[in-house]
Amino acid sequence: MAAAVASSPSPSPAERRGIPAAPFVEDVQVFLEKTASDASSALVSLQDRLQQYKVAEMKLLAQRRDLQAKIPDIKKCLDIVEALLSKKSSGEEPMTVDFELAEGIYSQARVDDGDSVCLWLGANVMLEYSYDEALLLLKKNLENANSSLEAIIEDLKFIRDQVTVTEVTIARVYNWDVHNRRKSKQQKDDP
Amino acid sequence: QGEGVETEVTWEDQQNINAFGRLNAKFHDLEDEIKAKKAQCWLRNQELAENLEDASNELVLSDEEVVRYQIGEVFGHLSKEEIESKLECLKEESDRELGRLAEEKDEVVSKMNELKRVLYAKFKDSINLEEE
Repeated sequence: MAAAVASSPSPSPAERRGIPAAPFVEDVQVFLEKTASDASSALVSLQDRLQQYKVAEMKLLAQRRDLQAKIPDIKKCLDIVEALLSKKSSGEEPMTVDFELAEGIYSQARVDDGDSVCLWLGANVMLEYSYDEALLLLKKNLENANSSLEAIIEDLKFIRDQVTVTEVTIARVYNWDVHNRRKSKQQKDDP
Repeated sequence: QGEGVETEVTWEDQQNINAFGRLNAKFHDLEDEIKAKKAQCWLRNQELAENLEDASNELVLSDEEVVRYQIGEVFGHLSKEEIESKLECLKEESDRELGRLAEEKDEVVSKMNELKRVLYAKFKDSINLEEE
């Protein structure tokens, strides 16, 4: 990594969860000399880096979408368990519900006063829990999902920054190159 | 841009540009969230209502005794009063959320405008901060 950042006012992390930060270039000429490369090979390697960042960004966006779909599902389960619990504690008669048997076909059911619900845990496994245990489990799942989502959002912000830095560096190297060529052309033309 | 302008980009400039990029992304996220929230204000009450307003209206017009209110994946049979109070709660909550989102959006927009001012002052034509 080009150690061109001598005195950055606010240091940003050198990497985040396995993703390296994009080095900031103070001076294009110094950067090219340090990495002993010319403008076009620097551009190629920068473009390469940009692509890698974009791939990582795609993956994170997909993860974020998945979580954003999972969270309302967990909330729905919580809603039901809380409704059952409140019905039970208020001592009213059991709730009648309409539930979907097949697409567009509903049937009525009376949800008797039980003490437990069964929760689908995935991988063809369903476990019976008491209302309170179920509430606890669902709340914990919701909490975990929310904190994973937060971490992913931070990751996305970080990647966004690195993409921006890399794009700006590419523009500057390109501009420097154009400027340089023009300068050397002028020098050649005026002996 | 093909003129090879030699304006120097300092670390502070880069951070401003980064901040602008992040704010722009946040702006679009907020717009999407607001759109989704507005569409989400619906309740499948007797599978007809399309938003909380409609649901409350339907409730008033309907003369059935029992109304089905969606809880989770099923529709519970609840009395009109119970549902009315649930709808009230939902409406309040959603109004609060929408208000919060709108405020956040305004904040983001004003920060972006400030950054635009700073960056255009330094870079003029060499930088483009507009939406494609």
